[in-house]
Amino acid sequence: MLKPKLKLTSALVVAAFVGGTAFADQAYGPFPVTVKGYEGDKTNSVSYSGQIARHVLHDSLKKAAAKGDGGNNAAEVEALMLAYFNGSEEDLAIIAPVSKDGFPVKQSTVNEISKGKNISGKFYKGAMTAWPGNQSGVDVALQMIKLAAASEQGYDPVNGMDWGQLISKFTLGAMAYNQAVDNYLDEKLDADNKPNDQPYSEGAHYTGKEHSWDEAFGYFGAAAHSVSLSPEQNYAVSKQKDLAAADANGDGVIDLKTEFVFGPAYYAAGADKGGNKNTQYMTTIFNAFRDGRALIASANGEALTDEQRAQLKNYADIIETNWEKTLAEATFKYAGSVYKDIDKIKSGEDTDKALRNYAKHWGELKGFSMALQSGKNNLGAAAIDMNWLIGFGPAMPDGKMVSDIDADGNFVRGREMTLDDYQVNMLKVQKLLIDTFGIESRANDATADLAALAEKLGENASAEND
Amino acid sequence: MEIFEYIANVFADVSNPKKRIFFGYLLLTILIALVWLVAVRRSSFKRALGQVFDRKILFSPSARADYKIFVINRVFTMFISPLLLSQLAIATALYYALHDIDFLQRGVFSDTPKGVIVALFTVTIFIVDDFTKYLLHRWMHRWPLLWAIHKTHHSAETLTPITVYRTHPLEGLLYGMRGAVAQGTVMATFLFFFGNAVDLYTVLGVNVMSFVFHVTGSNLRHSHISIRYWPWLEHILISPAQHQVHHSIARQHHDKNFGVAFAVWDWLFGSLYLSERDTDLKFGLPPSEAHSSRLLDIYLRPFSDMARVVRRRYHRIFRPKPVQASSDKTPVTR
Repeated sequence: MLKPKLKLTSALVVAAFVGGTAFADQAYGPFPVTVKGYEGDKTNSVSYSGQIARHVLHDSLKKAAAKGDGGNNAAEVEALMLAYFNGSEEDLAIIAPVSKDGFPVKQSTVNEISKGKNISGKFYKGAMTAWPGNQSGVDVALQMIKLAAASEQGYDPVNGMDWGQLISKFTLGAMAYNQAVDNYLDEKLDADNKPNDQPYSEGAHYTGKEHSWDEAFGYFGAAAHSVSLSPEQNYAVSKQKDLAAADANGDGVIDLKTEFVFGPAYYAAGADKGGNKNTQYMTTIFNAFRDGRALIASANGEALTDEQRAQLKNYADIIETNWEKTLAEATFKYAGSVYKDIDKIKSGEDTDKALRNYAKHWGELKGFSMALQSGKNNLGAAAIDMNWLIGFGPAMPDGKMVSDIDADGNFVRGREMTLDDYQVNMLKVQKLLIDTFGIESRANDATADLAALAEKLGENASAEND
Repeated sequence: MEIFEYIANVFADVSNPKKRIFFGYLLLTILIALVWLVAVRRSSFKRALGQVFDRKILFSPSARADYKIFVINRVFTMFISPLLLSQLAIATALYYALHDIDFLQRGVFSDTPKGVIVALFTVTIFIVDDFTKYLLHRWMHRWPLLWAIHKTHHSAETLTPITVYRTHPLEGLLYGMRGAVAQGTVMATFLFFFGNAVDLYTVLGVNVMSFVFHVTGSNLRHSHISIRYWPWLEHILISPAQHQVHHSIARQHHDKNFGVAFAVWDWLFGSLYLSERDTDLKFGLPPSEAHSSRLLDIYLRPFSDMARVVRRRYHRIFRPKPVQASSDKTPVTR
């Protein structure tokens, strides 16, 4: 039996390669409508506007986190933030991304993209031990929103918190990454869950599997044509700085539904663009999504065979592993930023500005480390170590850091930590991330100078002597 | 591994300027030897050529054993080197530890001009490397357990540039660890105090000081061309003739001139021996200690010698026999 099986696998591998090269550089969609008995006029079965709406809710939420004036408008700001987090009956204005000079955006309200969407319903609900207070992921987010609303412009200078960054980076994992890898690319690939021989929902012009796969792609946040862009271009599109690269259909405005690059994809491109420039996260993830979608389309509305589902799971694995690595790369990068920020704080020049940057980068570091812990994999000891090294807050110049949070949401600053010790912790975080995730790009590597010197000196193992 | 890849790997050192037997250095070595013989020793060019390429030396049983050991040790190195703790691992661990010492301020000298930092690092790493080589080499001679290993090198009865590879694999291991500790320490310390301007002045990718050491005839240390320096210079730098004295079998030459590039260590620690004019040195070890060309003996005897040293120590410590004299032969160390 072994031989025929081998032949089948080899054929699949060959088919995957041939298929892969045939599609390379091709956008995500359009793909034909394959639902049996569909009688509508749609010709493209790709649809993930709900996910784009959630990315927009997230970007807007991040901006809203900076609207506090130090407590007076706390209730108002919290209500605004919750509207974006929980969704609203009313049509919400998009706070970000909005049109700016040389980069007009087609949609200005969330409902223009998709109606009735929220973040909270899709937020990680498991325990989040990276944050004090033994809370679930979604409760941590709600607590952060409350604290952000009561702060001055989203910044807490005493504890070193940047709420916009914390909420945003955590959400990139707890919503987008979690939904994609722990739901759409996980149980939704089972044979009896959203089968391919039925429409996703009654009357839909896409099958169960087609739409599940699209939704996962939507959470990744790449533009449909991202694969034909360089990492620099994808990055610039997300920063709203390259209209030509973003405007795939050449109509002069950017359709957020298909032409914009959102958080997770932005960080994939960012890792490829920076650091050692030896990664291709964006292309790898994008191609796995696109090839998986092509495979589903090729089933032509029939139920997927076990082999087809096995292949699809293969693509899902590629997506999941690489997505996790992009989060680890981002955590690594910000651990390096925090390390450098401490040098600046210690130098004593412009302390307020140095502290502000420190809190910003720490928020990104912490948020991404929490994002990493919101996926499908239990990171086990690595998570415990990482949470201890990073702590519940950054080490502050007075040698203390947050150790707990009380029932009223007040931080307790009970852990001793000098800035020097905290720098060592950052080095250890970087090492832990390399050891655990095998990341390669390693932007802001704080020990890169050592590695470069070692390289220059050459290895010592030799059989020669005097 | 493909056979060609393997062969290329075995002979990679010849094309690597970081290695003493880099072909460029070998060519210069021949040139220096010829110039020395013709200009200083007043030999005819033809005779000088005959002396440099003396078949009796280059193809002596001892030299032929060197060539075999060169190839065999490459295989050992391929297996051993991944096991060694790299200088990077040591540097990283030390770099972390330095952060933890409160009164040390990172980057305290980072305002030093870049050129000065690089020069300082280049010189320091060379000096520390050279000094730790001196120390380990001295211990290899002084401690019976290590001498059992180092004998492999001293069993050579003729010296050729390839004799530098005539070492027991265990010695390779020890020197590898020494290099990792020495370089790792200097790297971490410099980067911690001087910041990221730390770099190495190199020529052909090699520390400029190592480069100078090699282009001025480091290969002649293991040769029969005994180039001497002025006595004052032999207090500072080890001349080829001084290293040949180190290999000499004569009693008065034992345990002298352990240094590699610098003679100051020997001068400082009382092991310096200046070269002498027109002395015919005899190299090697007595048969009771080591064989010059039997490979099995070369590779295996160190183990039985070490076992004997350990056994003798054990007996001395745990079973003292004050009346009866020990019948064990004390190995001659040098």
